Amino acid sequence: MVKTSKKFPGVKWIEGTGEFIKIDIKKCTGCGSCTKVCLAECFQIVDKKAELMSLDECMECASCWYICPEDAIDFFWPPGGTGYKSNWG
Amino acid sequence: MDREYDIIVIGAGFGGPVAAKLCADAGLKTLLLERSKEVGDKVISGLTIPFYGFLFAPSFIRDGNPPFERPSDGIDNYIITDLENEEIILDNSLKVPLPFSPIIAFGYNTYCKPFCQWLAHKAVDSGAELRTSTTVVDFIEKDNEIQGVITDKGEKIRGNIIINSEGSQGLLAIKAGIREKYPAETISLADTYDYIMPKEDIDRIFGYSVKMCWGWDEQKAAPPLGYGNGLMVWPYRNSLHFMQDQCLRLDNQKVPNLRKLFDIYHKKITSKLPWWRDLVEPRIKLRARMWEGFEIYVGLNRELRQLPLVKDGMILIGDVAGLESTELCDGVPAAWFSAEIAAEVAIKAIKAHNYSSQALKEYEFKIKSHPIIRWSISGRNRYNLRFAQKTHNLKKLKRYIHNGWGLGALTTFTSPFLKMVIPYLKKDPSILSKWIKMFFRYYQNWLYESYDYQRGTLAKSSQMKRLTKEERKFLRWMRFIDIGVVLMTRIGKKFKNIINSLSTSMNTFLKSFLPLIEPLYFFILRVSRPFAISYSQKLINFVKKANSATFTVINERGVKYYG
Repeated sequence: MVKTSKKFPGVKWIEGTGEFIKIDIKKCTGCGSCTKVCLAECFQIVDKKAELMSLDECMECASCWYICPEDAIDFFWPPGGTGYKSNWG
Repeated sequence: MDREYDIIVIGAGFGGPVAAKLCADAGLKTLLLERSKEVGDKVISGLTIPFYGFLFAPSFIRDGNPPFERPSDGIDNYIITDLENEEIILDNSLKVPLPFSPIIAFGYNTYCKPFCQWLAHKAVDSGAELRTSTTVVDFIEKDNEIQGVITDKGEKIRGNIIINSEGSQGLLAIKAGIREKYPAETISLADTYDYIMPKEDIDRIFGYSVKMCWGWDEQKAAPPLGYGNGLMVWPYRNSLHFMQDQCLRLDNQKVPNLRKLFDIYHKKITSKLPWWRDLVEPRIKLRARMWEGFEIYVGLNRELRQLPLVKDGMILIGDVAGLESTELCDGVPAAWFSAEIAAEVAIKAIKAHNYSSQALKEYEFKIKSHPIIRWSISGRNRYNLRFAQKTHNLKKLKRYIHNGWGLGALTTFTSPFLKMVIPYLKKDPSILSKWIKMFFRYYQNWLYESYDYQRGTLAKSSQMKRLTKEERKFLRWMRFIDIGVVLMTRIGKKFKNIINSLSTSMNTFLKSFLPLIEPLYFFILRVSRPFAISYSQKLINFVKKANSATFTVINERGVKYYG
């Protein structure tokens, strides 16, 4: 299955990625850095902890992983052939 | 112990396929792994590949027909000091002068996907095996030596040397314990818009120029420069890319809300910058929006620059080795250079059956002493820019932009460039004519070839015919140049020391004298303009009509390279 997004035209997402971004709730301090750098709005802060909302529009840039001051975000590439794809990069 | 492959290359971006092709050419059993379904699915930013990338690229790129969207002859820098009152200063001093522009180009604008596919095809043609939809998740490691890879399907593939070109995040390199995660300050998030625009309008409004915008922080027109970058617009055949990029964090400041900031920058530029608002905005249609993180600032950090690039059984190339250019925010030339060096070292190591880091250390040495890589990753100009911006010093800002993206760039680039050129001339006397033919052929490709996105191939329309008198004259001239180079290198041998010291001190010379030479240079350009225009027309007409065989280069093995 292939998904598209109205917000980000020209990009497709192939299903089957699984949760390739994981948040370690114990380490998370709820600083909200991940919500600020993620252009796809994948994260939200609930009860002072970051929560993964959806990876539907994730472009796998790893900004959340870079920015997290507590190293609470674990990022790894989704399985082969899944995730975002574009012709216009 | 038997291993299935001599070389396993991870990642089919700009570097990986080049390394794979060169290893396969040497007769090594090579596997190229790519995580996306099709090669080029995951590459985000389109780009301008600067001319030096092509000049010093592996010969199959230099002498081939890669897919381009448009040649670019220089940069228009817009320094925005007050957007509301339209106080904007233009610095367009970095331009190829007229009789040569646009045939001799400053760079070539291209979409990444077709280019990466072209490279991957070349690797496959040479005998490398390409496997897409395959994510490498871990390595087979024994006694601290990397002996192979483990894929997401659990398959174990053994190889003698792993060439890792996974890209800037370096997740696998971190797993292998060879690298660390880069700090957020080094990473620039590039938000890219792809617009469709009729070709005639692009020809008229942009011509062959890349446009860049810079501004004070509080203008909120372009992202803070220096540590971050700024804003770039580059034209393609019948589309254009708008890219704004900013570092994830600046100077230990609070993390900015990039989502909001990028929206503000984009709205301000598109609604208030005069040339965009009046000329571009009414003629464009949004086709795509995407983003990616780049490691623009890594080379400036001394500690990161000292990280190892090899381990027993593994070599890092391109972005994962931290080689993205600080100067031009472009990682492609360095990816090609490092891929070629890695292939050379790997081939040698495999012949000697020695895959230890000791044997691969030569790669690290060659990368660290490569004049252009060294120049491109450690350009201090970014510190200066940031400083000028923070202190609101317009005079300095203008100067540093001039030194980075204007004619002043010659004061840092000339020596590394000459240091690269001299060994090339010594190694291959016909290199100069090859370079000239390259520019002519690339221009002809831009005129006649377009990438067919439906079929994923180049549509070539020029035909092979008998050479005309003019074309034979051109080839005679090329031969004269070759002979000239041979004579010059012979004479040059006697003056080796003088030439070496001259090329080393060229930057210092230009630093003191370029401000004096510059007005003279622009005066000559202005006076010679009518003559230059007519000559450039002649040149363009010649290339337009010329038989494509005129510019074809036959490499040493007698293989003709076509797209």
